[in-house]
Amino acid sequence: MTEVVLHVNGHPNRVAVDDTTLLLDALRRRVGVTSAREGCGVGACGACTVLAGGRSVSACLVRATRYDGVELTTADGLAEDDPVVSAFVECDAMQCGYCIPGFVLMSTELLRENPDPTDEEIIEHLAGNICRCATYPDILRAVRLAARRHPG
Amino acid sequence: MTDTVVPTPLPEARPAEPRHGVGDRRTRFDALGRVRGTLRYTGDEGAVPGTAFAGVHRSTAPHARILSIDTTAASGMDGVVGVVTGADLAAVLGDRMVTGPAFADQPCLAVDKVRFVGEAVAVVLATDLATARAAADEIAVEYAELPPVYDIDDALRGEAFVHDELRPSSVFADLAHLRGVRDTNVCYEYRQVLGDTAAEHAAATTTVSATTWTPPTQHVSIELPSTTAWVDSGRLEMLTTTQTPSYVRQTVATMLDLPLSRVRITTRPLGGSFGTKMYDRLEPLAAALAWTTGRRVRIDATREEAFLLTTRHGAQVIGTISADSGGELVAVSSDVRYDTGAFADVGPRITAKSGLVAPGPYRIRSVDVRSRCLYTNKVSAGPFRGFGVPQVTFSHETLIDELARALGEDPYRFRRRHLLREGDVATVGTRMHSADFVSCLDGVTAAIGWDEETPPGDGRWVHGKGVAVGFKAVLTPTVANATLNLNQDGSATLLISTVDMGQGSDTIMAQIAGEVLSLDSRRIHVVRADTDATPYDTITAGSRSTYHTGNAVRLVAEAMRDKLIGFAAELWDVPAGVLVLDADGVAHADDDRRISLPELVHARFGAAGATVTTAENFTSRWVPYDHDTGRTEKATEHWFAGAAAVRIAVDTWTGRIRTPHLAVAGDVGRAINPTLVEQQLTGAALMGLGHALFDELVHDHGQLTNATLLDYQLPSFADVPERLTPIIVESAHRDGPFGAKGVGETGILPIAPAYSAAVRDACGVRITTLPLTPERVVEHLEDRS
Amino acid sequence: MGWSQVSAVRVHHPDTLDEATALLRDLDDALVYGGGTAISVLRAQGLLFAQDWVDIARVPGLADLTTTSDGLRIGALVPLRRMETDPQVRRLTPLAAQTYGRVAHPRVRNTATAGGNIAHGDYRLDPPTALAVLDATVHLTSAAGTREVSIREFFTGFQQTAVAHGELVTAITVPRQPERARGTYVKLRSLSENDWPCASAAVLAVPEDGFVDIRLGLGGLAPTTVYLAYDVTPDMDVEQAVDAAIDIADSAMDPIPDIRGSARYKARLGRIAVEEGLRHCLKELAG
Repeated sequence: MTEVVLHVNGHPNRVAVDDTTLLLDALRRRVGVTSAREGCGVGACGACTVLAGGRSVSACLVRATRYDGVELTTADGLAEDDPVVSAFVECDAMQCGYCIPGFVLMSTELLRENPDPTDEEIIEHLAGNICRCATYPDILRAVRLAARRHPG
Repeated sequence: MTDTVVPTPLPEARPAEPRHGVGDRRTRFDALGRVRGTLRYTGDEGAVPGTAFAGVHRSTAPHARILSIDTTAASGMDGVVGVVTGADLAAVLGDRMVTGPAFADQPCLAVDKVRFVGEAVAVVLATDLATARAAADEIAVEYAELPPVYDIDDALRGEAFVHDELRPSSVFADLAHLRGVRDTNVCYEYRQVLGDTAAEHAAATTTVSATTWTPPTQHVSIELPSTTAWVDSGRLEMLTTTQTPSYVRQTVATMLDLPLSRVRITTRPLGGSFGTKMYDRLEPLAAALAWTTGRRVRIDATREEAFLLTTRHGAQVIGTISADSGGELVAVSSDVRYDTGAFADVGPRITAKSGLVAPGPYRIRSVDVRSRCLYTNKVSAGPFRGFGVPQVTFSHETLIDELARALGEDPYRFRRRHLLREGDVATVGTRMHSADFVSCLDGVTAAIGWDEETPPGDGRWVHGKGVAVGFKAVLTPTVANATLNLNQDGSATLLISTVDMGQGSDTIMAQIAGEVLSLDSRRIHVVRADTDATPYDTITAGSRSTYHTGNAVRLVAEAMRDKLIGFAAELWDVPAGVLVLDADGVAHADDDRRISLPELVHARFGAAGATVTTAENFTSRWVPYDHDTGRTEKATEHWFAGAAAVRIAVDTWTGRIRTPHLAVAGDVGRAINPTLVEQQLTGAALMGLGHALFDELVHDHGQLTNATLLDYQLPSFADVPERLTPIIVESAHRDGPFGAKGVGETGILPIAPAYSAAVRDACGVRITTLPLTPERVVEHLEDRS
Repeated sequence: MGWSQVSAVRVHHPDTLDEATALLRDLDDALVYGGGTAISVLRAQGLLFAQDWVDIARVPGLADLTTTSDGLRIGALVPLRRMETDPQVRRLTPLAAQTYGRVAHPRVRNTATAGGNIAHGDYRLDPPTALAVLDATVHLTSAAGTREVSIREFFTGFQQTAVAHGELVTAITVPRQPERARGTYVKLRSLSENDWPCASAAVLAVPEDGFVDIRLGLGGLAPTTVYLAYDVTPDMDVEQAVDAAIDIADSAMDPIPDIRGSARYKARLGRIAVEEGLRHCLKELAG
């Protein structure tokens, strides 16, 4: 067991993990963050997306010990009036909602890098996330709306 | 192009202005929780200390006798608290450990024999999940292989049999006669006969035949199945990912020989399901393990395991359609074969319900449908959005499209001419109502500009258009119940066993209740299915909830309205008939007396926080199929009607299909919440796009070879058509709540045939095997030239 | 340094390159853990049996991306996403930036590393096609010293590379893309748009004294990445150049049939990828 400090949404969490513990398991079972979820276990669906230092990561593919001290953001750490969060709510960009936090974080990363993306750029950035309910048209509207509102 | 029909007002309802929910594009009440991920799904519940995690050892043989199971190494591992085999469970539960909605053919752990690669053979219980899974790998099983039944041809050859004997369970009364039947892989056959097809085909002037194949696919709801079961004071309790809590309660009670009152099934919102989390999945195993070991047992499926729990039926349909010299449809023959895998699951019902619509929604003089459900040594197939109907739709829409072309007719107008209208009788013998195929068809063709010129090709890319309709009956008979508590403060709590899995049922049920009670739907909380509290509901499936549970909710709200008016009538000593309920409470129609709901309930009970309760039932009824003809005057409570039209471009070099525009329409009777209806239409259409173009489970000698999301193909953002148009058609159902019907499956039915028709239009080749992969398109282009 | 033991895997954390190479020399079956994406996937699928992981995150210098006199030096731990977005990469080797940007999706590109990517050795990977046409060199280090292997010789067989026991990839050097050269990467899928490539081709057209040196890197079309080259002579028109490219590609393709297509279909897509890429480059050169 190794002690690491996972800084999640601004709060440090000192947790004991194995050196092979996946970041996803550490967040869910040790820190208690459940907005990042397992969908495939192989980085292919995006349900486990978190931001590490602002960059998107599949938490099911990486070891927790690599993120000792790194600023982590999960969707539940975004404010209710966050432009991306509020745009998704207003556009009802969800069905079952299981995958949506991953889309929200990918959109957050995209808009930080590219505040005024084209539809093609939105689709390219989000194409590695699977919404099996296929809410894609509403998600696209939500990201466009968030871009219009984004402070950047 | 929306054919809007004004809903029939309820006789006793005052015109409600402003409305209180029905018809509003209302966002889900829990939208913020879904977006930020704070809404908790079943697997998000933490494991309490002492939980035993399950690791499942699975069969490596498609069909074999189990000679021995060596659990020594697994048992000896640190953290392992027990190893359980099928024989262990059989010793306690006997035959009751074998469950299933149609046939008792599904052992929760294999006993004596395995029937597919991946069948659960033994379970390790351990203090953590990783140990449980690692230990499960240490179990060694010795098999004696039996001749495998890999596919439909093997199944019909009748040389090897997946089950030695058919053992119907008690759910389907019409299967009882099959008990004890041996030496067959055909577990169900539905027949529909109208007129004399042989004579009609023989006399016809034009006949078209096609053998279609729709492959097995998987639902891949992104939430993985998870079940936790425990024993509390002699009761078996469970939290599980299921669409069918009432069914699971009955199954567990029967398996454990407990009264229903001693079984409790609880649920959370589902992270998608589409049919995958229905009937017997992890629940019988979890219940058996918890009951026999006394431990709190948690089973979490990996993605790879989820592929082994259920699939969509692969189906072959051998179809023929004939027309006379006037272009009238004189005969349709259809031989339908569903590959149901190792367990029948609900395959027999799928076989029947799809068989009854197999000829298509057309005026046809004679039909002969033979629809069979066949066992094979593969993962069990069960319900999947569309319930077997997409498979037969691909057949009837391929046939009618090709027939139109053979007659030199426009495929859209030819269908339009023959489609069933209001009041017509379908081939199955049931009258049509609230199934406006014509408006659906007109809507989608107008949306894509059917009569506009198709762009010319450029030598590499060619363009085409296609159209198809979809036709399905709602599951009938079924039962829905609702209980409503009006709280003294004027808010309400609605208890139903419908499971919200993304369709937004919690939101629309509150809209229905709110409309009746003139109450803002956001003040109505819908309780998640918990069989200790929420009443029986057949299933959340088959697009039945809006109509059935919606009606129960409408009735329970009406009962509440009457009860509240009754309270005021007593309070004021006036006849109830002069009182009305509106947004401000109960009012006297003829004077200025009025009382708010909080005041009224407080006046009645003298207690803050008191509740008023009503309960109601809605049950739909049918008339069973005629034994000889399979026909009935009431096959279904209502129909689903839909259509899709698509413009595509085909890359003749690669075979790849691009979609400039896809339009999808469904007659929903009345849209309670148009936003949610459009999401169902587009979501189903995109799932159908996957089935049309690339989505397929691949087997090699009975073993799945692409059961991981690195290989299994799902529609991504980049696969969405350049334009996607959902069209709501509203032809109100006379008995629907505010005229409404369901919509969850409508959009998926016509997609694949619309695409194959568009390929036919673009390239001149008719592809009858799905999916329409680029390689398959190229092969057909090469064969043509 | 230290190690921890968990569920049969020991993770080692060398602080220096010497410690890392000593571990790799002494351990029987050790895996170098870079970004860990491929390792995590293989482990989740039960396909990974190595008992020891040598996590090189603490080794200094491996995450550096630097410009050299004739190009780029890419440390083994440079994330793919940086290869996609870094202005120096875009300026010096635009074909590499384009190709790295086509790998999987942003999460994988944020995590996976340039060294791990090639060490994985999968025949379908995108970056090796561009690295091959750009004539990159792989730098390997072991306790015995260092050696360099051309990327064109690096992939030795199905899932096999030139990395020997005791060695690790420390860097990839890429010569600057010739200024007048034009390159592109074509990635063709046979199933969903989000899938692995069914066939891919990196094409670089380098004008030299009236000739055009055409370099092709093929992905997914043989058990390894394939590198091919030929010259377009002044007397050849575009159609002849395309025919020559397809001929030479045909001679080298040996696709593995799988759920993404038969060998025949994959070869067909390979020819299309080559043709599309080449026409694009020649058009750009002409324009």
